[in-house]
Amino acid sequence: MAAVDLPIGGHAAESEHGDPNAPYYSAKKGWKSWAYTLDHKRIAWLYLTMISIAFLAGGIFALLLRFELWSRGKTIVDAETYNRFFTLHGGIMVFLFIIPSVPAAFGNFFLPIMIGAKDVAFPRLNMLSFYVYIVGATFALSSIIIGAVDTGWTFYTPYSVTTSNAVISMTFGVFVLGFSSILTGLNFLVTIHTMRAPGMTWKRLPLFIWGMYATGLMQVLATPVLAITLLLLIFERFFGAGIFDPKLGGDPVLFQHFFWFYSHPAVYIMIVPGMAIVSEIISTFTRRQIFGKFAVALSSLGLALLGFLVWGHHMFTAGMSEFSTMLFSALTFFVAIPSGVKIFNWTATMYKGDIKLVTPMLYAMGFIFLFSIGGLTGLFLGMLSVDIHLHDTYFVVAHFHYVMMGGTVMGFLGGLFYWWPKMTGKLYNEAQARISFVLVFIGFNVTFMSQFIMGSRGMPRRYYDYLEQFEPFHKASTIGSWILGAGLFFTGYILLSALFKGKKAPPNPWGSAALEWQTETPVVLANFRKPPIVTRDPYDYHLATEAELFDGFPEDAPKVAAKPSEKTPAKKSTTKKKDEE
Amino acid sequence: MSLEPTFQLPEQMSTSAPHIDNLYYFVYWLSVVLFVGIVGAMCWFAWAYRTRPGHKATPTPHNLVLELAWTIAPVPLLIMLFHWGFQGYMDLSVAPAGAEEVRVRAFQWGWDFEYKTGESDSKLHIPVGRPIKLVMSSNDVLHAFFVPGLRTKRDLVPGMYTSVWFEATKPGQTDLFCAEYCGGKSKDQNGNELDFAQFKGHWAMHSDVTIESEEAYQKYLDGLGGNKPPEERGKSLYEKKQCIGCHTIDGSKGVAPTWKGIWGRQEKLSDGTTITVDENYVRESVLEPNAKIVNGYASPSVMPTFKGTLKDKDIDAIIAFMKTLKDK
Amino acid sequence: MANVTETVEGADAHDAGGEGHDDHDAHPAFLQHHFDTPAQQFDASKLGMWVFIATEILMFGGLFVAYGIFRASDAEVFFAAHKVLDKQMGALNTIVLLFSSLTAALAVRSAQTGKRQMTSIYLVITIACACIFLVVKYFEYTHKLHDGLLPGHCFGHPWFGDKCTEHGSSAVPISVEGLPPRANMFFALYFAMTGLHGLHVVIGMSILIWVLIKNIKGQFSPAYFTHVDLGALYWHLVDLVWIYLFPLLYLVG
Ligand code: HEA
Ligand code: HEA
Ligand code: HEC
Ligand code: CUA
Ligand SMILES: [Cu+2]
Repeated sequence: MAAVDLPIGGHAAESEHGDPNAPYYSAKKGWKSWAYTLDHKRIAWLYLTMISIAFLAGGIFALLLRFELWSRGKTIVDAETYNRFFTLHGGIMVFLFIIPSVPAAFGNFFLPIMIGAKDVAFPRLNMLSFYVYIVGATFALSSIIIGAVDTGWTFYTPYSVTTSNAVISMTFGVFVLGFSSILTGLNFLVTIHTMRAPGMTWKRLPLFIWGMYATGLMQVLATPVLAITLLLLIFERFFGAGIFDPKLGGDPVLFQHFFWFYSHPAVYIMIVPGMAIVSEIISTFTRRQIFGKFAVALSSLGLALLGFLVWGHHMFTAGMSEFSTMLFSALTFFVAIPSGVKIFNWTATMYKGDIKLVTPMLYAMGFIFLFSIGGLTGLFLGMLSVDIHLHDTYFVVAHFHYVMMGGTVMGFLGGLFYWWPKMTGKLYNEAQARISFVLVFIGFNVTFMSQFIMGSRGMPRRYYDYLEQFEPFHKASTIGSWILGAGLFFTGYILLSALFKGKKAPPNPWGSAALEWQTETPVVLANFRKPPIVTRDPYDYHLATEAELFDGFPEDAPKVAAKPSEKTPAKKSTTKKKDEE
Repeated sequence: MSLEPTFQLPEQMSTSAPHIDNLYYFVYWLSVVLFVGIVGAMCWFAWAYRTRPGHKATPTPHNLVLELAWTIAPVPLLIMLFHWGFQGYMDLSVAPAGAEEVRVRAFQWGWDFEYKTGESDSKLHIPVGRPIKLVMSSNDVLHAFFVPGLRTKRDLVPGMYTSVWFEATKPGQTDLFCAEYCGGKSKDQNGNELDFAQFKGHWAMHSDVTIESEEAYQKYLDGLGGNKPPEERGKSLYEKKQCIGCHTIDGSKGVAPTWKGIWGRQEKLSDGTTITVDENYVRESVLEPNAKIVNGYASPSVMPTFKGTLKDKDIDAIIAFMKTLKDK
Repeated sequence: MANVTETVEGADAHDAGGEGHDDHDAHPAFLQHHFDTPAQQFDASKLGMWVFIATEILMFGGLFVAYGIFRASDAEVFFAAHKVLDKQMGALNTIVLLFSSLTAALAVRSAQTGKRQMTSIYLVITIACACIFLVVKYFEYTHKLHDGLLPGHCFGHPWFGDKCTEHGSSAVPISVEGLPPRANMFFALYFAMTGLHGLHVVIGMSILIWVLIKNIKGQFSPAYFTHVDLGALYWHLVDLVWIYLFPLLYLVG
């Protein structure tokens, strides 16, 4: 490289990084070291904190919703308040919690580690995305103070053009949050392309990274359309521009097209990261390479691609042409194939594995159980004539909770329990964790299974009050939500008490072969004391004995080999990599 | 398949219901089989290959055939599902010739069904055994016409007509819901909470569908307003057609001039002239609200035109009603 | 990998003074600590900008789709309404932007060859063009507002005129004299599209000013001119969008 003797500008921050070999959370001290941090691991914590608060807030709204529906008539709140509650519940859960959840928290923490990089490609952008998230969240939530939004999370026009002005701050908030999501996705795409450690070939890329890659693509390609949609909605509110307002010659159905062009891919932005975590967990606790790893990786991309072509299935009753209805329905079914590939391959991975039924694995199995139900009921909804009956009933509500809560949130919780020892350096109480899983699993099914039945019996959604015939189902659902809530609060307690008074965790408590477990705990600021050279697949369990998995993986001689070597594991003493440089 | 309600689906009351229900139960059982297969296998593996001393995982094999099999095998199945769903949908969307039309208007928060006789009601009556086509529009925001018993649903979109048809198969009563969220109101203008009974909104657009024999249907149509005195019809139009939303009849000033004492009143217009409220003026105000604007009100008028919505007969009835609203 | 404990020089390249000079390897100042080589850093930045441009195109894409739909259903209205726009002004702006794209490209060229002075000059010209564009746009906008062509509550009335006080009334006019009804849709799209584009001009301009300052401070070299490159790339995007906006809005028919 050409010699450079230029004055330095704008790089002063680098001296503030602290010792690269100190634990990331104590390399620098003071609140400023957190507020201005460029370290992806700390940013992950900032995100995780905010996301958990959002989950808690969304969950409290959910419990209030369910409590209002406990009995007919007014139980605790009036109708306008109820409408605000479900809007806030949906909005917070979707935009503040689930879309950022896995990528922003676990992706940020583990993506660079898993590909052997020191950080994401654009650390500053990463920090920016967090603050953009905060700004967006502030706008979105400030709508509560200035009158709260009651449009549902879908903001359908023309209702959203006529109701309270708080819609402006809410949609503007969501618009801003979109940029946070775009920045995260962009950062990950570039990081995966350019920052992989030597030897981390595309073929060896962990499935979590493949999932993040597919998610990044969707975030980058779909979110801008949401941005412009919301911008037009705001334009509409401020000036009465009329693009979506039939009174002025606009087209409300166009709004729905725009909205779902984003929001359908968004559901895969939510689920693909959940699936990505499940792949990691399953391989670790079955001690196996994922069956058909390549197909599982491709299926993430397949979901990303197909996800862009099916948005119209949310509008079967909205007055589209027959032709587009047909097209959207047909394409919808093809989404089942990549999802099926994943489910089948995970199950096949368990066949002849060495299965450890610890909490993360329970969550991964819970994912398969619940997501299968959620996904299969998606097929009911994809069938045109059946959707005519089911659209906008509680059947749909149950469907999407099974995929979002039963899918993504199970994956998220599984990931929390799986990576908690690495992130915090502390062990949690396994027995308690299993109990919390059982509570969550049972509570969840009670809450939402009854919603399937009342939905197919004709109970419409977004209803403040209901007919007598639906009462038993609503009662069951409300009781379920209490069990579920108890399980989740217990989960929160378990994790926090581990953080503050848990036992110190070893570097690799699960004996995983994946790269993120090969670095020490607590993770050092530079992620690895020595830049890693990858010589094998992250799931090459057959190259090590069970004891070696815990003590240190028998790494090959550090040739930048393109293929995982078939050589027998070397002796322990040679496992450490030699200096390549 | 029986017409009685099953655990999952309500009673079948239309010709399209059996198709939809059969399809529903077909995917349902298909899903049960797939689900039990997958989750059964998963649980079995979790037990059979649980970790224990001496047990080790065998390296994952490659099995392209198996992978291709479960990638491709579902395709025909999925195409079949799509095809059936689409077929049913097409049957639902093309109304047979000669279906009797009912004009449906939805507003926040109620329904207005106008029968071929020109009379309207807030409840729907339909004859059994005859195709009925609804031609629907919305006055304000999105709504959706949803009758679970008839397995029918369709959005009502402002600024556009949508339609749906069905043929009822047996007499009875069933529920009609609004299935597209359309807001709600439970507070008065000052933000005070109303009584539960006065809450209005999306969920409260519940109404009934009465399916009845041909004779009963004809009798219902005949009885609809035809023999009511015009003042009373006018009053009900005043309420049903939303005049009440802007015009008061108790003399208080709202968004629009009160109707109390309106008849024969000298109205000052925005162009400075004065006019007496008579038949022609009312007619014009209803059909072309912008033609003459009462002094002090915005131009163009916020009042929508009722051209096409109100027939001459209706306007006459409203006039008769206005005449009863004397200033003391 | 697990038990590697010895410290490797490469890992703590940035401990001292923020200079970032590695003791044994060429680790130039501009190279951020988490990249291994300048080439990697450059690739990352470039890819990042391309991805970002893709998001921008999709964002405008939404507007183009809306435009296409309304134009298809209201062709005559669009034709009649577009006549109100000032073709001369639009054409002038097109030329200005095209020229600025050229100078932006030249700025990159001179940065590449190390001609710092020339880079600055070209950047200044580009920024000046951006200003001209905005000034022309300002006159167009004020003219339109004066004619009451801003859709919405005040359609048909001069903006801030005395007649336009009834904000929030539910009936919004959708026609003005001399234009067919529903011409408001055309102007809604006109203002949305050119407004968003104008915002991008401002953003692009700010980026170029920032790059110019860096250049004047002498932070670029033939080995490192990423920001000039990316700034220009962004500017080309701004230009490209306008190349589509101009015929779609000003030359309907
Ligand atoms: C994480 C989010 C998520 C995911 C992953 C999905 C996945 C799917 N969704 Fe869902 N959906 C939502 C979130 C999600 N959805 C939300 C939020 C709404 C409502 C929004 C609102 O209105 O508020 C919704 C609504 C919704 C509708 C509109 C309903 C209506 O309003 O009328 C439809 C219709 O087609 C649909 C279909 C599907 C399908 C076919 C899938 C498929 O991807 C599922 C694929 C998975 C499987 C099929 C199961 C696993 C596979 C096997 C076991 C293999 C064997 C099976 C076969 C080969 C058949 N969804
Ligand atoms: C990620 C998405 C998500 C999640 C997780 C949930 C979770 C829940 N939802 Fe939600 N829901 C939506 C997304 C989601 N929902 C959406 C998009 C809508 C549509 C809105 C609309 O119509 O516009 C909806 C609508 C909706 C309705 C329908 C309202 C109506 O139509 O009238 C109902 C009714 O029962 C409901 C209930 C619940 C319940 C009981 C939970 C429970 O599972 C919640 C349990 C959670 C808690 C009790 C919080 C506990 C958390 C902690 C203690 C923090 C600890 C932290 C960690 C462990 C990290 N939801
Ligand atoms: C959205 C509000 C609104 C609704 C609904 C509405 N009006 Fe009006 N109406 C007005 C306003 C405002 C005026 C005064 C401005 C004008 O003259 O147009 C008015 C004026 C009138 C006048 C002239 C009154 C006078 O004192 O000179 C008549 C008659 C009338 N409306 C009849 C009706 C009838 C009949 C209906 C229902 C079928 C109806 N309006 C529904 C807002 C409304
Ligand atoms: Cu009308 Cu919901
Ligand atoms: Cu969807």
